[in-house]
Amino acid sequence: MVTKEEIDNFIQKIPPTPEVLKETISLLNIGELQKAATVAEGDLALKSYLKSIVNKPIYGFRNEVSDIGQIFGILGVSQSQQTVYNYMINLLSPDKWVLFKLNKKSFQELQANLSKKWTIILEYLNIDDKNITTSISLLPSSIIISEALFTKHAEDVNLLRGTKALDYNTILYRISGYTLFDICEQIADKWEMDKIISEILQSSSGLNISKDEDINKLAKWMHLLLFYELSQPVYVDAGLNDFIDFQIDYVSDIYDEFATLMDIS
Amino acid sequence: MKPVVKNNIGVFSPQGFLDSNNNSAFLSIDDIDSTVKLKVDMILVSMKKVIFFNRNGLDVFIKLFAKIRKANHTIVGFCDYNQKQYDSIKKFYKNEMTFSLFKSIEIAYLFSSNFKDKDKKILIYSDDKHQRSAMAIELHNNGHYPIMTQSIEEFDKKRVNKDAYDYIISTTYLGEMGNMIASKVSGNAIIYTVVSYLDADINDTFNIQYHNNSLNVGFRLFIFEAYKVISMNVHALNFFSRLASAAAEYNATIAFVGLSFDKTPKAFKENLEDSGILFYDQMDDILENKELLKELGASSAANIKNKRTINKATVTELPRFIDATVATIEMMTNSKAVKEAAQVHNIEVKDKEDKIASSIGYYGDLDGMVILVFPTDIAKKACELLIGEETNDMELILDTLAELVNIVGGKIKTLLSDDNINVNITLPRTYQDIDSLLEVVQDKKGVQVDLSFDDNKFLFFLTR
Repeated sequence: MVTKEEIDNFIQKIPPTPEVLKETISLLNIGELQKAATVAEGDLALKSYLKSIVNKPIYGFRNEVSDIGQIFGILGVSQSQQTVYNYMINLLSPDKWVLFKLNKKSFQELQANLSKKWTIILEYLNIDDKNITTSISLLPSSIIISEALFTKHAEDVNLLRGTKALDYNTILYRISGYTLFDICEQIADKWEMDKIISEILQSSSGLNISKDEDINKLAKWMHLLLFYELSQPVYVDAGLNDFIDFQIDYVSDIYDEFATLMDIS
Repeated sequence: MKPVVKNNIGVFSPQGFLDSNNNSAFLSIDDIDSTVKLKVDMILVSMKKVIFFNRNGLDVFIKLFAKIRKANHTIVGFCDYNQKQYDSIKKFYKNEMTFSLFKSIEIAYLFSSNFKDKDKKILIYSDDKHQRSAMAIELHNNGHYPIMTQSIEEFDKKRVNKDAYDYIISTTYLGEMGNMIASKVSGNAIIYTVVSYLDADINDTFNIQYHNNSLNVGFRLFIFEAYKVISMNVHALNFFSRLASAAAEYNATIAFVGLSFDKTPKAFKENLEDSGILFYDQMDDILENKELLKELGASSAANIKNKRTINKATVTELPRFIDATVATIEMMTNSKAVKEAAQVHNIEVKDKEDKIASSIGYYGDLDGMVILVFPTDIAKKACELLIGEETNDMELILDTLAELVNIVGGKIKTLLSDDNINVNITLPRTYQDIDSLLEVVQDKKGVQVDLSFDDNKFLFFLTR
């Protein structure tokens, strides 16, 4: 099964933030959207990613948006930063998914759906904070980590999960002492993401609940949003519905608000 | 999505939202086919982690239930729901409730005829008097003591005294129940419980596959507990005669206990006796008589004529069996498992104190049985990944050891299939002390291998 060495190897292989992205993010941080766009134009892969993300139906633009300056202008500082981090997380995703039935397109779709709906939630909660907006970007990295660590052991995991209903997070914790969210935190540290991002993410596991009420509240919304998305047919089919445990009691007090906001009936 | 099978109950555990949008994604055609083929007592869908559902979301599972019921007599339904979910399901399907609703998986176990826990005191309430009676009858048939309450007031009054009951059942609904013949293992004998009038239906309700597996893994005494049988017809007579003939090929014995011939033709008894079937008045007449057990082939000193020995085919595949065990232990403990000396002889367990064991049988192109013997503390370490917490609960430890040996069995099946050898595995069995293990295997020759992980020694024994 997954060894500590394999976990360490994975963490070591996380690349540092590329210079172009670092500069783009610091310019976004000081509100220099046009300058940030000019720098981002230099990274063709980033440019292509930004275009493909914002032109997804969930963003609701009638005409194709292709100019990076225009994209940053429409998204604003917080969502632009969120999208650049989505791109960075996307860089960690495998070329070919094996454990989960995903591909580049469906993974990016998941990132886009989570990001857009997270923005709707933050608007509803009257929160305008670029780090909190960005925190959702880190969440799908838990899926990438599971894929990276468990693919080699897929047969064993299937055998184990056929005997006992254990999710990937529990298996990883029991054999290594690390949770998927601990490893997500390591990614955040390596990329010098704001501390609040890891705190929200850790709490959003529903297992490592923050004592900070504000963080805890956001984490509940994030946990429920994740399972709302993982209940979409494409992700159920991908095998993601039960990759981590849904902590239903953790989110029960916000469910009605969530259902109203997401128009669930 | 596939169900997790434990204690002969398969449970699906969807999470999040179940609606018309995603319902078909939870069950592929393959998932449905493999579930229908499962030989289990019940197939349930746990609602524990479902936060939202509507009728369309449940329909895919209802269709699965219908297919299962059509194919066999497995009990189907939902479990682990809250009051609101219970009310919603009943409202959605009020006139079409052929499936059952069990408030928790523990409650479902009580209605499973093969569940090992018996003699439980159970307080029951349902606002439907037919349901109250149906539950009481089922629980009674499964060896429990149901206490029915006739009104919610009586129920509320009685439930206050929690210590008086092992279980309290409400918000539970019985749909079509299974009518498979219950079976249990007692020492080296398999006991089947038959009730009421026996006719041609016995061909459907008797799990012949389970019976054949039991013969294949070495059981030699099969007892039909027939205290509640009123009579039988010629179809049932033929069925038992055929069963007896098949058993004779294995030198196995079939016996009836408590069968009255008040309403059954006396000639039937003679026919059955001619087939080799024995009759006893009381179960203890057999189970408490060591000499008789020995004679019937159900004791450690069984004088089976064609005693099956370890053969060349099994020895050739021995590395696969050991590899499967080593790989499973390594997977469960994340440490290196080491094989020490292997010897062919009868099982030898030095220092029997504080040791437990588990076994699993396999049959098909090869047949035999793998036994693992652990000091209790080391069993706990080996099962840490499955247990997940510190525990001294022996029932939990044994239960988990059964899960571990089940994984070993699955691994054996996979490794042998790489050599084009197809086997199926039986349900795992556990032994809470070495004496009960020796009752089963002490006369069997096999390959004994000492294994260890992190200097924790345990024993592997392969026999037929």
